[in-house]
Amino acid sequence: MYMDCLDRYREIVPDYVGFRAIQSLPLYNSARINTLKIEREKLLERLEEEGVLFRSFEWYPLGLKLDIESPGKLLENLLGFIHIQEELSMVPPLVLDPQPGECVLDLCASPGSKTTQISQMMENRGIVIANEPSLARVAPLRSNCERLGVLNVAVTRYDGRNFPRGPFDRVLVDAPCSSEGRERRGPGVLSRCSRERSLDLGVLQLSLLRNALRLTKPGGIVVYSTCTYAPEENELVVQEVLEDAEDLRLEKVSIAGLQECPGITEWNGKRLNDALSCTARYYPHINDTGGFYVAKIIKN
Amino acid sequence: MSPRSSRIRNVFEPLDSSLVTKMWQERFGISEQAFSGCKFFRKARSIWAISDVDLPALSYEAIGMRIMNCKDRPWKPTTSALQIFGQYATKNIIHLNQEEAMVFLEGGSQAIESKCENGYVVVFYRGDVLGCGLYSHGKLVSQIPKERRMASTVKGAECEA
Repeated sequence: MYMDCLDRYREIVPDYVGFRAIQSLPLYNSARINTLKIEREKLLERLEEEGVLFRSFEWYPLGLKLDIESPGKLLENLLGFIHIQEELSMVPPLVLDPQPGECVLDLCASPGSKTTQISQMMENRGIVIANEPSLARVAPLRSNCERLGVLNVAVTRYDGRNFPRGPFDRVLVDAPCSSEGRERRGPGVLSRCSRERSLDLGVLQLSLLRNALRLTKPGGIVVYSTCTYAPEENELVVQEVLEDAEDLRLEKVSIAGLQECPGITEWNGKRLNDALSCTARYYPHINDTGGFYVAKIIKN
Repeated sequence: MSPRSSRIRNVFEPLDSSLVTKMWQERFGISEQAFSGCKFFRKARSIWAISDVDLPALSYEAIGMRIMNCKDRPWKPTTSALQIFGQYATKNIIHLNQEEAMVFLEGGSQAIESKCENGYVVVFYRGDVLGCGLYSHGKLVSQIPKERRMASTVKGAECEA
């Protein structure tokens, strides 16, 4: 059975039985309020008027759980007042914490959920470079930016491993990954997962993260995130870059109201860098979400 | 250089702001203050707006938002741009009722009585800009891009996170 690729996490996931059980429960719909186009209160009033049932996230006032089958059909979505986005996908931009006026790189940008969240956090000021090598994936990225009224994003199409020049104040590496944490959203994801696949992806992820760090200003911040549980794509990648350079340190990833588990510091009997416990693992059965991994790296 | 210059080059070229803002002022009565904080580029026959910062020296696929197309006469504003800047329009505006708005959002054409000049108009519903319409002799034709129309949102609009 394909879910057995999760078996190797038995030792690292708390309440492993609960973790397995929730995989077959579909994820609720969720959306982010786009403050570039509407104020939160006005949007909530509109939804109430239209009889749409919703609940704000406990940890993020701009995140909404929507009790509706096709939120994409809402006029509010067409007009760019909201963006359909998975709950945990809103975490990496918050950890990145971009400021208005800064120069920010989103190295693996499409379809632009995080790009546009970064843009709204920067209040449409400064510049976000949204990089996406695949031409086919540039279309949804651009279309989301335009619908959401984004004016501070420019799109490039470099191979992220060779993105040529910076420097940037902050870089987000939301890396291509095995997406194990998306099983509740798209059942069957796990059928394509294996340790071997994760090892292959780890090579790509490491190159992306190394280049991101090269492109970052001294004192700048790199956030590395995936939606997988595989240590080969998470802690082991971050450990490699920490070994590369002495000028890097990890900052604790923690969001009030959302319970994280510390990054692992031991895997398959091998001791890892203790600092990796500052990185965060989000499990689906703990917050009733998908799965995510987030690391925040400071370049001194 | 005129934004409608026949010289077509597939690179982004900076464009004088006053050229652009004058066109929006003439057609929609939008004051140039609405565009403060933006700068403009031209690529082929399209004009793009982006926040006014120095861009890193990179090869770009898109720079900010495509706000207008100058391929044909008259120039055509994009629905995305009208949703941002159209709220400041003082002329060539059409307000729709609910039934009319639905037809418009589905990409349809309909008879509408208006004193607008013929040409592109800003279409409002309940105080929100829905997008760009083409008004001609009592008929309003929706210019909403296909992927943002009401009927087409069943598939495709719910992109992954």
